[in-house]
Amino acid sequence: MAATFFGEVVRAPCRAGTEDEEEEEEEGRRETPEDGEVRQQLARKREVRFLRRQTKTTLEVSLLEKYPCSKFIIAIGNNAVAFLSSFIMNSGVWEEVGCAKLWNEWCRTVDTTHLSPTEAFCVFYHLKSNPSVVLCQCSCYVAEDQQYQWLEKVFGSCPRKNMQVTILTCRHVTDYKTSESTSSLHTPFLKALKTQNFREPPCCSLLEQPNIVHDLPAAVLSYCQVWKISAILYLCYTDVMKLDLITVEAFKPVLSSRSLKSLVKNIPQSTEILKKLMTTNEIQSNIYT
Amino acid sequence: MASQYDRAITVFSPDGHLFQVEYAQEAVKKGSTVVGIRGTDIVVLGVEKKSVAKLQDERIVRKICALDDHVCMAFAGLTADARVVISRARVECQSHKLTVEDPVTVEYITRFIATLKQKYTQSNGRRPFGISALIVGFDNDGISRLYQTDPSGTYHAWKANAIGRSAKTVREFLEKNYTEDAIANDSEAIKLAIRALLEVVQSGGKNIELAIIRRKQPLKMFSAKEIELQVNETGKKKEEAKKKKSKKTA
Repeated sequence: MAATFFGEVVRAPCRAGTEDEEEEEEEGRRETPEDGEVRQQLARKREVRFLRRQTKTTLEVSLLEKYPCSKFIIAIGNNAVAFLSSFIMNSGVWEEVGCAKLWNEWCRTVDTTHLSPTEAFCVFYHLKSNPSVVLCQCSCYVAEDQQYQWLEKVFGSCPRKNMQVTILTCRHVTDYKTSESTSSLHTPFLKALKTQNFREPPCCSLLEQPNIVHDLPAAVLSYCQVWKISAILYLCYTDVMKLDLITVEAFKPVLSSRSLKSLVKNIPQSTEILKKLMTTNEIQSNIYT
Repeated sequence: MASQYDRAITVFSPDGHLFQVEYAQEAVKKGSTVVGIRGTDIVVLGVEKKSVAKLQDERIVRKICALDDHVCMAFAGLTADARVVISRARVECQSHKLTVEDPVTVEYITRFIATLKQKYTQSNGRRPFGISALIVGFDNDGISRLYQTDPSGTYHAWKANAIGRSAKTVREFLEKNYTEDAIANDSEAIKLAIRALLEVVQSGGKNIELAIIRRKQPLKMFSAKEIELQVNETGKKKEEAKKKKSKKTA
């Protein structure tokens, strides 16, 4: 016990601790059955589930165990997804092999049979003519507590090392730390970050310190680094976070990389597809003119 | 550091920034491109038309507005803020005419708009206007004028300028191509404005709106056909120039 200047008596924290104090703390820490139930319900709700929409069955093993691949391309965010839809997915016939269903504060996916690239969803495809190429389009937000589940259900507990992973994503340019004046930055621009096992030269300059990568792209890249998988992340810094033609086109240098070069067939047609995508999905916002 | 000093408009950061004003300038970049050219006998305003929803009436979405018979302005940024500024400017034009019995000069109305914008950067509880404007017109002395205002309340006179999305690209084009020959006559000035816009406008002539003011004449808005004609002529000239170049190198 201690007395303050004003004469009030306060309970002073005691580092030695007393038996009474420990009991009180334990009571506070002890979970009631209701708390436990709520926690379990929340954990069930936030579980990441992988299923095949065609058969409506859950995937029993991890996705890449069921569909082993040598090239795995992941697009995270609506601009990266639009880029893959326009420039890669028109190059052949892609078959959907799975989709992730998850729930969090930012992403409330519901069952849907029709998908457009701007809907919040996470879908996996493989190229019918070459099933060792797997592509993921993820336009939903995967929360921190769900990222490890996502990784385990995609890569499995013991992933193959002889595959190359390419991740495409966007970030707002205000997150980019540089000593240059921001008015001299020509947004959008690309930066790359790779794992130790990635040997090829990247298609753009590497991301400088002290910049860091966040969310699912960071989780995937870290996972690949730990498991010694060759992986590269292409991060586009842009000043427009919604679906934007100039931001999507900023990913074009990636088309010259070894993993994507063979998948690109018809660039003029891709540009047309991209324009159609923009007009179809343009948010009809009248705030700015 | 920015997060501590960017909430209130009236707070300077330690390095002298007014972040809300700078953020308002970012809002301007979300608007579609506007280009203004000052010729000898003509002033031209070209804008990238904002695409509208299928069921939306296109006529209401106007970026180029007349402030008076001899002055007009185009803006980029927040639509609602522009409506308020334009309305105040129009009232001021008429009030000036009634009081002083003379129409406003282009510089006067620009200064009025800039002063209005500056007031909103220094008031508690208000935010800056999220628009930049290009104001063009002819004064009584017959000289053409082009001014630009921005959310901070500054204004400057320009020979040619661009605001809005991709303004940097258009400005660089203008810096290379704005010559005395390029504005030698009215049609050259119009073509320069169209060429500048075509640097950044994706779908060509149908997404461009053009307006001109000639000395002692009111604002003229080009129709879609007239714009298409101008765009085609500009395209032809470009091809001819390319052919000439390839002949020279060959």
